[in-house]
Amino acid sequence: MPTIVLHRGGQIHRGEVNENTNLVVRAGIKQFPYPNLRYGCGMGKCAKCASRIIDGAEHLPAPNWKEKKQLGAKLEEGYRLICQLWLSHDLELAQDDKPLEPLAPASP
Amino acid sequence: MPDLMNHVEFRAALENAIKGKSANKAPFSIAWASGKLSRAHLARWAENHYHYVGPFADYLAYIYARMPDRYTDAKDFLLANMYEEEIGGDRHTDLLIRFAKACGTTEERVKDADNMTATTRGLQSWCYAVSMREDPIVAVAGLVVGLESQVPSIYRKQTPTLREKYKFTDEEVEFFDLHIVSDEIHGERGYQIVLEHADTVDLQQRCLKICEVGAQMRLLYTTALYYDYVAKDIPLSELEQVESKVPEFERELLQA
Repeated sequence: MPTIVLHRGGQIHRGEVNENTNLVVRAGIKQFPYPNLRYGCGMGKCAKCASRIIDGAEHLPAPNWKEKKQLGAKLEEGYRLICQLWLSHDLELAQDDKPLEPLAPASP
Repeated sequence: MPDLMNHVEFRAALENAIKGKSANKAPFSIAWASGKLSRAHLARWAENHYHYVGPFADYLAYIYARMPDRYTDAKDFLLANMYEEEIGGDRHTDLLIRFAKACGTTEERVKDADNMTATTRGLQSWCYAVSMREDPIVAVAGLVVGLESQVPSIYRKQTPTLREKYKFTDEEVEFFDLHIVSDEIHGERGYQIVLEHADTVDLQQRCLKICEVGAQMRLLYTTALYYDYVAKDIPLSELEQVESKVPEFERELLQA
């Protein structure tokens, strides 16, 4: 089972999840990393779930079109949209205190 | 009289009931999965699908109003689900309309209720009837567990087909992949509500029955789409030839 380590607000949260897990789905059903993972729309629009990958990025798929559209150059800094990722390996990630602003927010 | 099931047994029974009987044999699904539909056929699907899924927040609102106060978690979930369908990000139906336009139809045609088949009207009416008349826990089983929870696995398979076989762009098919996360949350929380609150044999059996009926309604809807729009262009005999070549998982397309 993948081990997830989440850094947020000066604290470290650690837990195990099943293979092929989406952390936003987990948080949405109130399981780890709930309530410590910040997320929003779950559709790759708001970027509230954006996180910097500290370790394990090599196991992630290449960024999809939504991540490219919303994160742009932030991808180069190691940021990913967590709502777009299904995890099967250990991952260590950090969420900034202030969420990223998406480059192309949802329609008003 | 059946026994009261524990959560593991009840969940397995619900999942089995949802599968329905022969739903993956729907000719419209076979035609979709094999790449045989035209954009005009897909436009007719979008014009109908709008009237099935478009009122989803309305269906949930009726359940919300009748859900007992003591089920606070269930009420909060329904409210969150409504919010996410409509204003949590892009409105889901706006993305369906974007897909419809890519298929060659117009927003006006999609929104015009005269453009749905009688069968689609029947499916929509069934959803309204369930939300207004059934015990609210049974209604959650029917609409959230029975219908909405099926969306992620189907759309996860459907999106690559639309890109690769039908050559739609990422943005044109966004309607299909936004559901993968939000509906997975909704479906799973629907299961939690039903498993917790369907706590009598009678309620459990009614939940199972409504999931079976939901599967029948989906099959009815999809089958009608074939006969109303596609049969004149693609006869069953042609689909029978390709059916064996369509991977089993792709035949599940469009059953949600």
